[in-house]
Amino acid sequence: MGDEMATTTTVQEPNVKEDVWINTSCGGCYAQCGIRAHRVDGVIVELEGNPETPAGSGRICAKGTAQLMTLYDRYRVNYPVKRTNPEKGVGVDPKWERISWEEAYETIFEKFRNMKDPRGTYFQATTVQTSEIRFAVPAFMKAWGFKNYWVSGGGLWCGNGAHFMNGIMHAAWSIIPDWNYNKYTLYFGCSKGHGAGHAALQSAQWAADARARGMKAVVFDPFLSTQASKAHEWVPIRVGTDGAVALGMINVILNELGIWDAPYLKLKTNAPYLIRPDQHYKRDPETNKPLIWDPKAGRAKTFDDPTIEDYALEGTFEVDGTTCTPAFQLLKEHVKENYPLEKAEKISSVPAATIRRIATEFAEAAEIGRTITIDGKEIPLRPAAAIFFRGSQGHVNSGWNCLEIDLLNHIVGAADVPGGSMGHGPPVSFGHPDTGKPETVPYACPDGLMTVKGWVYDHKPYPLREPAPPQRLDLQDLYPCSVYNAFTICTPEWEKYRKDFNIDYEPEIMINFGSNSVMTMANAEGVTENFLKQFDFVLSFNIYQNEFTEAVADIVLPDASFLERYTPCVTFPSTFCHPTGMDHWVWQIRQPVVEPLHERRDFNEVMLEIAKGLGVQDKYFQAINDLIPVRYGGEMDEEYKLDPSGDYSWQDISDRVLKDRLGPDKGLEALKKTGLEKWPTKVEEMYWRWFTPVRVPIYFEFFLESGKKLQKLLSSFGREDMADYRFYTPLAEWFPCPSHEEEDPTFDLWAFSWRPSFHTQSSTQNNPWLDEVSVNDPFVYLMQINATTGKSKGLKDNDMVWVENPDGNKIKGPVKLVEGMHPEHIGIAGCHGHWARGTPISKGKGQFFDDLINPDLAHTDSLTQGSDACAKVKIYKVAGR
Amino acid sequence: MPRYGFVIDLKRCYGCYSCQVSCKAANFTPRGIDWAQCVPAETGSFPTALRQMLPLVCQQCKEPACKEVCPTGATTQDENGIVLVDKNLCMGCKACIMACPYGARQTVGDWQTYFPDAEGELDPYEAYAKKQWEKKNGYGMATKCDYCKDRVAEGRKPACVESCPAKARTFGDLEDPESEVSMLIRREYGFQLNPEFGTDPACFYLPPR
Ligand code: SF4
Ligand code: SF4
Ligand code: SF4
Repeated sequence: MGDEMATTTTVQEPNVKEDVWINTSCGGCYAQCGIRAHRVDGVIVELEGNPETPAGSGRICAKGTAQLMTLYDRYRVNYPVKRTNPEKGVGVDPKWERISWEEAYETIFEKFRNMKDPRGTYFQATTVQTSEIRFAVPAFMKAWGFKNYWVSGGGLWCGNGAHFMNGIMHAAWSIIPDWNYNKYTLYFGCSKGHGAGHAALQSAQWAADARARGMKAVVFDPFLSTQASKAHEWVPIRVGTDGAVALGMINVILNELGIWDAPYLKLKTNAPYLIRPDQHYKRDPETNKPLIWDPKAGRAKTFDDPTIEDYALEGTFEVDGTTCTPAFQLLKEHVKENYPLEKAEKISSVPAATIRRIATEFAEAAEIGRTITIDGKEIPLRPAAAIFFRGSQGHVNSGWNCLEIDLLNHIVGAADVPGGSMGHGPPVSFGHPDTGKPETVPYACPDGLMTVKGWVYDHKPYPLREPAPPQRLDLQDLYPCSVYNAFTICTPEWEKYRKDFNIDYEPEIMINFGSNSVMTMANAEGVTENFLKQFDFVLSFNIYQNEFTEAVADIVLPDASFLERYTPCVTFPSTFCHPTGMDHWVWQIRQPVVEPLHERRDFNEVMLEIAKGLGVQDKYFQAINDLIPVRYGGEMDEEYKLDPSGDYSWQDISDRVLKDRLGPDKGLEALKKTGLEKWPTKVEEMYWRWFTPVRVPIYFEFFLESGKKLQKLLSSFGREDMADYRFYTPLAEWFPCPSHEEEDPTFDLWAFSWRPSFHTQSSTQNNPWLDEVSVNDPFVYLMQINATTGKSKGLKDNDMVWVENPDGNKIKGPVKLVEGMHPEHIGIAGCHGHWARGTPISKGKGQFFDDLINPDLAHTDSLTQGSDACAKVKIYKVAGR
Repeated sequence: MPRYGFVIDLKRCYGCYSCQVSCKAANFTPRGIDWAQCVPAETGSFPTALRQMLPLVCQQCKEPACKEVCPTGATTQDENGIVLVDKNLCMGCKACIMACPYGARQTVGDWQTYFPDAEGELDPYEAYAKKQWEKKNGYGMATKCDYCKDRVAEGRKPACVESCPAKARTFGDLEDPESEVSMLIRREYGFQLNPEFGTDPACFYLPPR
């Protein structure tokens, strides 16, 4: 602390001894914008955007500014405490007792040392502090020897289907429109550029520029969301039916309009690959490579044959006595036969004529054939994009919904080219000019399909994981495409599942970093009773006592907040921080602007101490050496690798990471002064699609084999019922959620949740400034229902109603009659309705939507294991109100 | 002398409340006081309903209704057209609060901590904020937005302008026909809120679509 961090000194008043601005990174959400903190005599008095960084471009949002109140929140956990009430459960008073750090460490070491089997450890972490979890979590998992891991929010609030499909199709975590050149965007259930954490502030600015320029936006959403309210057109749609509409649009584009980007489909996808009658690729017997049909040569050739003159997309061809059809032809026929607009309308409630009109507008807006020259390189310009996120993917059809929307982009060639849909964060990076790191460029598998080089988690989205007898307690390793897996752990069946699959160890210790999974996975009772209470000892790092800690934690350690800690890299891996378009790469750090107050200590430092205390620091250091090349692109220099027999502090490690990635003169001391290092992006990085020799699937041949393997594996354990194998099909399909098939007419509304732009998952509701905003806003603490529907039920504003799902789960709250809501829906702001003693500000405000969610097999995507986050409900007045 | 004014572009604004919260932080306003209030509203009916945020600030009127009714002379206009309240002259009669047609003035009785259930002293930040508030403003008196007069004097922009992620807010000199605010008003059909109130606001809005 002190002068070395001062970037400017402007002493204003004679009695002020210190007045400095320090560059760091916000931790209010996963966008992690670059900010400047103003410290006067040891107190942070102001936060503002850092104009030097593209990650935020000098702006700061309401959540960011309000983090001052979280830093100095007097309800925060400031000392280690232990539970003295042996009872655990939702709403239980843990009767915390303050303990010393020494006692906390001793208890922790003893619990770990006495474990029956280290594999019974489970790491659960928040996605809000996304950079903090990149080191300690995987390093400790390797060092202590366990594989159980869960990102809270991953079940309901994150993107199973989205991340998986974006990984396959864009080598990226998410997709956003290229606002700089875009003229027409379809948004399905998302708020990118309008409050979503995807490069939140730069995106907001570019989206506003695009609006001002006349970009047309069409938003499909059950309610008039922030995004929809800024669009040219809001199309009310039933929850979870986005994929059916997208398939209907594809049908219009291919079969009615006859529009597609043939060069893109031929060269950048598997559209020309020949498919046999048994749905598999026709392969070259010699090389085993998939074949295409060259109409000029009049014969089949391997997809990468340099003599190819043209590729057939349509027709049928005889190859060695087999009738083969290009994948594209199959897709075209499939949507024609199975997704006529009448069907899409029946599923989604969007009129066929509207779907046809919007499909036509989209296809025409893509301006197929146009090019643009950027930095002397001529590349396709496709100013149309189709984008999705939470709304589309929080359903049984999670994976396919996302893919179906994204297929629109690939049919018109609008993927990772100017104006189109862009992988985000940018998936191609050539690295800092001095070091060539972080370097990551996707490459082709033997079948020509795109494979990511580095990925946020251990398993890459493609090639699919081999279904294998599970080692994890959540059985995730059974499934080939699973990103997170909630349905096994959150149901009463969990123990039986483990038995059925011969898991030979028990859940013993949970380490929780910052997450509040009691409020972010499913209904609170289910999560607590079925999952969390199965652990003998729960260690939790938190800044507040929340619903999770009060229900199940045995020891709570007072974590530092982001203004009190070091994080060596927040903008890589670039999942959410970098804007997409020509600008700069930025490597930002986080540094303590104030020393941790009270007895707070930083999570990464404490986990390192725990590893040392347990005598596994050598493996911990080795694990960090191993993971850096995967997460931060490029091998480590020998000089900066950690010596497993050495001894390092968290700051030493941070310093080495920085020097290794950015150069010897850019260690921690140097970066503390600037807070960041930036360098210009290249056109080959940002608009990489045509510069990178990879194809993506429009036909998912590899699902067939995977599905069969999965079925065989599950059957071998007598649990063939644990997946719906129809999902493992090569051609996009729409599968309904249980809510779409509910037959009891008294359940006449769909309930869904949404996120106000000024809240981050379950972590911000207790912030008093954000609470003030929420109280002020008419839509946050009330449940929105269509006014006509409400009146027909005899309801008026503020009437208290029960919202009940077919399983009998119910939540209570006041309604607000609105016009901006599909008549068959009730919309509830997610992650509200807190009840913890430790969060008195948010307590009892808003509703806890997740209580309506039961993440059993029926409510799970059989492809990605994403949880269905919608429910069919009935509503009725609370008696006596 | 420049006459300072605001342009708020409703088509760029997406209703994120950054302006409201950064104003609070920059001016250390006590609990319940927001000088840059955001007012969301829904109009029309399903399925063509609209939702639009209306971000407010003091309109720094040329003919301020608040000044007209002030019995003590506490309300004045500076050379840049900023309407100010002299904390030593204001006797807290609230006449201006009732007179202001834009709801831009607020008053607060005392400093209320945001953490009422906590024991002990204010945290260092709230203690600092309280001191800052008391330096420029106070309790019982009328308080209002002054377009971040002190920040502007230091060469910075008003806090709400600086934070706005959508760059929906522009600050500048209305007297200078070449300033960004003047050009925006001219080119993009800038309008004043309720001109019929007759106060001639210095805050202009650009249409939502
Ligand atoms: S968008 Fe997220 S990271 Fe950026 S300022 Fe807001 S809270 Fe902080
Ligand atoms: S900060 Fe800007 S975009 Fe956000 S509400 Fe205020 S004016 Fe609108
Ligand atoms: S908006 Fe109200 S407070 Fe501001 S100058 Fe006009 S009348 Fe006075």
